[in-house]
Amino acid sequence: MDQFTFSSKYKTVLFGFMGLGVLCLAITFFADAHEFHTRFWTNFLHNATFFTGIAFMGAFILAAFTTALAGWHTLVKRIWEAYSMFLIPGFILMAIMVAATALHLHHIYHWTDGEAVANDPVLDGKSGFLNLGWYSIGTIVIVGLWVFFAWKMRQISLDEDVNGDASFDHHRRLRIWSAAFLPIAGFSSAAVIWQWIMSIDAHWYSTLFAWYVGASWFVATMALTIIVISFLKAQGYLENVTQEHLHDLGKYLFAFSIFWTYLWFSQYMLIWYGNVGEETVYFQERMDNYSVLFYGNLFLNFVAPFFVLMRNDTKRKYGTMVFASIVVFFGHWWDFFQMIKPGARLTAIEAAAHHAGHGADHGGGEHAAGEHGAELAGHTEAVSHSLDFAMGYTLPGLLEVGIMLGFLAFFIYFVFNRLAKAPLTPKNDPYLQEALHHHVEMHEEGAH
Amino acid sequence: MSKENKDVLYGLYNDEEELLAAVDQARADHLEIMDVYTPFPVHGLDPKLGLAESRLHIAGFVYGAIGTLTAFLFMTWVFTRDWPIIFGGKPYFSAPAFIPITFELTVLFAAVGMVISFYTVCGMAPGVNNPTLDDRITDDKFCIAFDVTDTEESFQDKLKGFFSQTGAAEVNTKPLPA
Repeated sequence: MDQFTFSSKYKTVLFGFMGLGVLCLAITFFADAHEFHTRFWTNFLHNATFFTGIAFMGAFILAAFTTALAGWHTLVKRIWEAYSMFLIPGFILMAIMVAATALHLHHIYHWTDGEAVANDPVLDGKSGFLNLGWYSIGTIVIVGLWVFFAWKMRQISLDEDVNGDASFDHHRRLRIWSAAFLPIAGFSSAAVIWQWIMSIDAHWYSTLFAWYVGASWFVATMALTIIVISFLKAQGYLENVTQEHLHDLGKYLFAFSIFWTYLWFSQYMLIWYGNVGEETVYFQERMDNYSVLFYGNLFLNFVAPFFVLMRNDTKRKYGTMVFASIVVFFGHWWDFFQMIKPGARLTAIEAAAHHAGHGADHGGGEHAAGEHGAELAGHTEAVSHSLDFAMGYTLPGLLEVGIMLGFLAFFIYFVFNRLAKAPLTPKNDPYLQEALHHHVEMHEEGAH
Repeated sequence: MSKENKDVLYGLYNDEEELLAAVDQARADHLEIMDVYTPFPVHGLDPKLGLAESRLHIAGFVYGAIGTLTAFLFMTWVFTRDWPIIFGGKPYFSAPAFIPITFELTVLFAAVGMVISFYTVCGMAPGVNNPTLDDRITDDKFCIAFDVTDTEESFQDKLKGFFSQTGAAEVNTKPLPA
């Protein structure tokens, strides 16, 4: 079966999960006692950036493999093309985030508070980049560019199925578009990662952060790809995809899990060694108040895949691969939670304290304002050392998991929808024969 | 005293597909292959020859684990017991600072250990003379070799028949040190 049919049975299940996601989102919005609905907006940002990033990585992987003249991935490239099309809903999700930021519907980003920026030399110094103009126009232009490139690459690939010939003109054009996309993707993804995620901890910065998030997206994309391929194979599709292709995907999952760990450690060790207060505060906060989140991150994304995927044979079995992929996919979603929630929570607490302080200001006049400053500083000091357990911040609660499943169902729905629109095997791709005869394991019989 | 040389009858094939088919044929005819030589790794050859999967990677894991422990425990001993020095105000036992060297020694032990194991198992060392049956088996020929020491003429004829039947380009004999 080379034509995927998106049956109504799948649609019903996916709609069910999407409904669950919407319900959970609504509960976090209305049950949130907080005036800024921080739990709702951080959940939205968390999943929107995570799944938009996976869509972006779909396009990036295709561009990188095409530029590197890879052939083995040809049989599964339609899946990444379908992923990359999720950039269109991703664009809408991020546009909602931009609109909410511009309208001050939330208070995730400390730098959106004009008063805070004016009184804070650090935020003032960063205001050339951390401002609404950059956030909104940057997001729209950059994600728009990604959509354009992803759409262009998919159009060429689909057209090749119909009009491709021995001149390989389509593939040549695909390579040009791919090579053009790589530097654009590299630089632009760093810019939006700083804006969307790193700027939550507005005082803090790390030059490694964009790579770190990019690696997280990459591993999550590989994990989801393995799950989707296993599902499609179990349904009788992709009969030409063999253990050999699975093995290569497994090597990517393994290698990039270690690459992610390398970046995690590089970021951590440099900050630990430098011991500069502005930098260590990021880890101090997470290790003191979010220790399960912090160490769980390392367990899910390094220890588990390292030991499960180290052996050759575990990368060649669907059972172990799907297991490892589920752990790692959840692990990187957990990683994003860990990056987004603690900073946003502190920002919300400080903003709430500040607003409460304003009420006192009106009565007390100038004298009180000075006291209020000291009080606020004392308050900040106190909260940064011990924060109570709060479901949805300290750990992902059931609502967060429900929202994740909702977004995942939305993603899968969109991907399956796109998969159904084209044959699963790109039949005129010049590398198709190489992919059909792909063979990596010396010891296995066959494939000759 | 053992015999100094063994006589080897070998056939050269031009293509790995022919070689694989010939190996299948030899197995079917119950001919005991001494060894097969190819200029590059041929996929699927190992199981056809009935060779077990290499255990070198298990040795590699053990060497790596020894490297990890050596580095981490040695540094811990040096910086907490033998010669404690304060670096940048950090505690004596500073695990993050040990990680890069632990990683390096893991890789070093695994790599060097696997090379030594591999050379030992293959009987290779500097100065050891390993005669080849034919220089072209490191270039473009695929070779199947049979040990024909002290065998009947009829058996050797049977092997020659096998070679001509499976399309060997050349058939030669050569004595090799036992």
